[in-house]
Amino acid sequence: MSTQASPPPMVQAASVSKWFGDLVAVSDVSFSIGAGVTALLGPNGAGKSTLLRMMCGLARPSNGTLTVLGQDPRADLAVLGRIGMAPQQESLLDYLSGREFVELAAQLHHVGNPVEAARRAIQTVELDPDDTRRLSTYSKGMRQRIKLAQAIVHDPLVIALDEPLTGLDPRQRREMIQLFHRLGDEGKCVIVSSHVLDEVERFGSRVLVIAQGRLAAEGDFREIRNLMDDRPLRISIRTDQPRALAIALLDRGVISGCRLEGNDSVVVDTTEPATFRRAVAPVARDRDASLLELRPLDDDLESVFRYLVGQ
Amino acid sequence: MNPHIFRVVVRSQISTGRLLALAGLSGVAILLAFVARVADDPVEVATRSMGTFGTNIFAPFIALALGSAALGNLVEDRTLVYVWLRPVPRYSVATAAFAAVISVVGPIVVAVMTVAAAITGVGDLLVATAVATALAVFAYSGIFLALGLRFKRSLLVGLGYIAIWELLLSRLGDWFARLSVRSYPMSILSDATDVSMRLADRSTLASYVVPLAVGFAGLVYTSWRLSRTEID
Repeated sequence: MSTQASPPPMVQAASVSKWFGDLVAVSDVSFSIGAGVTALLGPNGAGKSTLLRMMCGLARPSNGTLTVLGQDPRADLAVLGRIGMAPQQESLLDYLSGREFVELAAQLHHVGNPVEAARRAIQTVELDPDDTRRLSTYSKGMRQRIKLAQAIVHDPLVIALDEPLTGLDPRQRREMIQLFHRLGDEGKCVIVSSHVLDEVERFGSRVLVIAQGRLAAEGDFREIRNLMDDRPLRISIRTDQPRALAIALLDRGVISGCRLEGNDSVVVDTTEPATFRRAVAPVARDRDASLLELRPLDDDLESVFRYLVGQ
Repeated sequence: MNPHIFRVVVRSQISTGRLLALAGLSGVAILLAFVARVADDPVEVATRSMGTFGTNIFAPFIALALGSAALGNLVEDRTLVYVWLRPVPRYSVATAAFAAVISVVGPIVVAVMTVAAAITGVGDLLVATAVATALAVFAYSGIFLALGLRFKRSLLVGLGYIAIWELLLSRLGDWFARLSVRSYPMSILSDATDVSMRLADRSTLASYVVPLAVGFAGLVYTSWRLSRTEID
């Protein structure tokens, strides 16, 4: 009987930390990433960009090791040649045209026919390769796309994209996501960072959740979504019978605590949000209580990430 | 040296402000030359003018404006990433940037100062001015290229260096003067015309070797720093 060995990871982090003075940007993060699309999800300032910068050799880990295609991207120029990156910052070499900018990337990557490669990459991101305008005249969406073009012009194996959908309209986002999947299907390792949950959901990919510099969760997006949906919630209920409704919900065991607020509100805590959502309307109906409003008090992304870090 | 990076740095250096500064300083050089020509002692006035203006002001200020911006601008506007991400040896990036600064600053400053020397009518000064200015440009370009990469406000740091170190501290004594770049090209002018100038008493060999060494040291530091620096 023969066993098929799984392909080696294309990006591997082992106990990677990065600090800037007293500020810990990334703390003891370990993961392996292979071919396909992987999303780095986390709030702003979580450490996603720092991780991407370390993957591309722009920064070195303060502790731990991070390898790309088995090598240190800071020390090995050959590996750097197989990485493409679109950084988060908007600034570009504004005195160049879009085509010159992408051609420069191709030339510096020693691409055989840089002019043709640049044309192809620019067309891939749906810009006009014959546009001679300077980059300084480009809109935010165009700048995002030209950054993507310079990241893929040399046909890299590992592509790191830092918030690449910012500034794109819905149609462009859809098409860029399709492009990421196409690249992933071609066997490339595409790592896309985002702080937008719904955006990552549409990647439909493996997700690494980064919060407060730590790897808070990882897995298939559905697993992450379930984990997020199952976290304890604090909910404000506006009703004409707050006391009666709170007692009934406590009796049913779907809330773990409550606090009356004024004459028409009660704030409840639940550790089983899904059960609570199913139970609240029937309980209200049984008590002849009118449900005027249900409002989660900690449903922002920050609190979701805080919960995942706590897990 | 990487020719693609060379071209990009050259293009990034051309701005209206810098061209105006170049034109203004060039005008001053020519004006000083005409003043020297009609002076009672044209040799002395011309030597002092070429030394004081050419190697103390024109060369360092233009080298500062362009040298500090060559890589400094890429650091400040966070576009160095588009050079650093490529599989290009860091010394090749540094050499391309240095060559770009030299090829923009050198021909302009040397040409203007040589024309100015010709206008003075002092024959001994012609070649000496060209050589002294070229060496000054080489040394200052190396210094300011490195400063541009090292400091965020490199233009201010460079101005401080010129004003405090080159123009002020260098007058405090021979040891300070030896550490001042300008004393070496000034010595070349002084040797050529036998006009004695303050600070201009370096040996002939040192006058040629030290500016070259300073320029190369700046280039080596820039390469080292590029390979060590973390890119924002």
